[in-house]
Amino acid sequence: MLFKKNVVIPEYYEFFNSVKIVSGYKALETIPFELSRLGAKRPIIITDKGVAQAGLIKHVVDSFAGTDTVIGAVFDETPQDSSNVVVNQIANVYRAQKCDSIIAVGGGSAIDTAKGVNIVITEDTDDLLKFMGNYRLNKPMKPFIVIPTTAGTGSEVTMVAVIANPEKNVKMVFTSELLLPEIAILDPRMTMSMPPKITAATGMDAFTHSVEAFIGTQKNPISDAFATAAMELIRNNIITAVTDGGNKDVRLAMANAALLAGLAFSNSMVGIVHATAHASGGVCHVPHGIANSILLPYGLEFYIGKSDKSPKTKEYIESLLMHVAGPEVYVQTPPAERAAKSIAVIRSITGELKKLCGLPVRLSEAGVTEDKLEIIAKTALNDGALSFSPVEVSYEEALKILKAAY
Amino acid sequence: MKAISEFKEIVPGKKWFETLVTRVFFFFIGMGMQTAYRIDPDVKKEVDSWPETFSFCMSVVGGPSMLMLKKEGSFQYLGEKEVFYADVEMCWKNITFAYLVMTGRISVPNAVYHNRQFVRGSLLYTMSIIRIMNVVQTLLLPNFIARFYIKEVPKLTFKKLVNRAITYVNIGYGAIK
Repeated sequence: MLFKKNVVIPEYYEFFNSVKIVSGYKALETIPFELSRLGAKRPIIITDKGVAQAGLIKHVVDSFAGTDTVIGAVFDETPQDSSNVVVNQIANVYRAQKCDSIIAVGGGSAIDTAKGVNIVITEDTDDLLKFMGNYRLNKPMKPFIVIPTTAGTGSEVTMVAVIANPEKNVKMVFTSELLLPEIAILDPRMTMSMPPKITAATGMDAFTHSVEAFIGTQKNPISDAFATAAMELIRNNIITAVTDGGNKDVRLAMANAALLAGLAFSNSMVGIVHATAHASGGVCHVPHGIANSILLPYGLEFYIGKSDKSPKTKEYIESLLMHVAGPEVYVQTPPAERAAKSIAVIRSITGELKKLCGLPVRLSEAGVTEDKLEIIAKTALNDGALSFSPVEVSYEEALKILKAAY
Repeated sequence: MKAISEFKEIVPGKKWFETLVTRVFFFFIGMGMQTAYRIDPDVKKEVDSWPETFSFCMSVVGGPSMLMLKKEGSFQYLGEKEVFYADVEMCWKNITFAYLVMTGRISVPNAVYHNRQFVRGSLLYTMSIIRIMNVVQTLLLPNFIARFYIKEVPKLTFKKLVNRAITYVNIGYGAIK
């Protein structure tokens, strides 16, 4: 049992995050100072074409004006699915331009690519495959700053990178505390240009992170603090972020929520929702945020259905209501109905987002065909997230969740 | 303040009993996995899906370990070899944590949830290894004890009882050998 009755502290837990967080208006302007603090004077900026075309790199470059810090290079050709080929290309640019630090500007792909570049440069290699997996890295990395341009993945505070190896046809997963950046910078200017549907999908991604962190098997008082703060920020801001994308306060709130959710789930871990969402992404290329958003209520229903095996999880879903709906709804709902009400509230949020910007609420609306459900279920069973599920999940059960979400 | 010469290094003590229990457990698990590959079709299917010369290690940081190797159509228990590289290594952070798990005072899932154990190496095969470990533990242990080690204990069948008997015989043979 993770939490003993009437005791709020787990019998044992670990929490780790070493990232300095800088959040606020004109936060980008601290970059040159932070680099000098890390002993760096010549960073490479790694981003993608979309971010560059949206004019976001200009904000970053402008923040260096009036200082003696030189930008060694801007690499803006990171593809949507990062690969070891691109990582090696960028590493060559880094070496040729005598850079001494890395700034990632973008979503998950640019950030993961930058993490890969940091491995290649630090380990002085061109073969990332040797370092694939958990805890394969030992050397301290180059100074690394992350500026997210979406408010969802939380990659700016997670110790994971996923990079494809097209030659071997594998998705290489790297996890190490050394992959964490030194600094994450949240500046509302960087997320203002996100279109409504992406705002909704990334926001629900962060929401799923916080919900799964709150009921996760490694949950602890610190991850709970981050997860509940994230849920409340998202609950209060996601609709406005979609309808009024130019609202700086709301954008900053959502960026903070995504970061908080990242801090929570990278320590508390995730479960069946992420396992099935990863598999849906892998098999049918459903964007991760959309897959999470669709599967979240079905994953929670699955846990409630197995409450005889893990009654604590059901209790956590009941307490979830306080954070997804607010204290008024919580006290007005009889205890026996709170778990179901939590799920109903989540469905009402995704339903509203569907009306506002067309966010899919079923797998069939997200490009999944019925004949793929079986392969998605099989793939989900091999996802590492399932090892943190509070209950055992069989192939039939995974398929049932997917069919319900279809 | 004390003189410099008075500052002595402290050599860590040994935890003989905990180490012995862990070594015995590793032996049982290793022989159990080797046997399960031969008699359990689910385990065979899982192992056959791994690449040739795939190695899997269970270890305690600074303590005992055991190595399994898939090679030429077999899944071999190689005992406590010095391991420089294993494709997947499941490590306990301390011998005390391993001992608590081996003696059923912390369940294996809880050891994972608590972060008392970690995986080093490829994550692609981790779930497959966990499924094999679950089967092996149900082969080795009576259901009322197995529930301390795995999340969900499958129902006991006659086939399982026969497989359990074969596993014990193989472990006995391995111990004599």
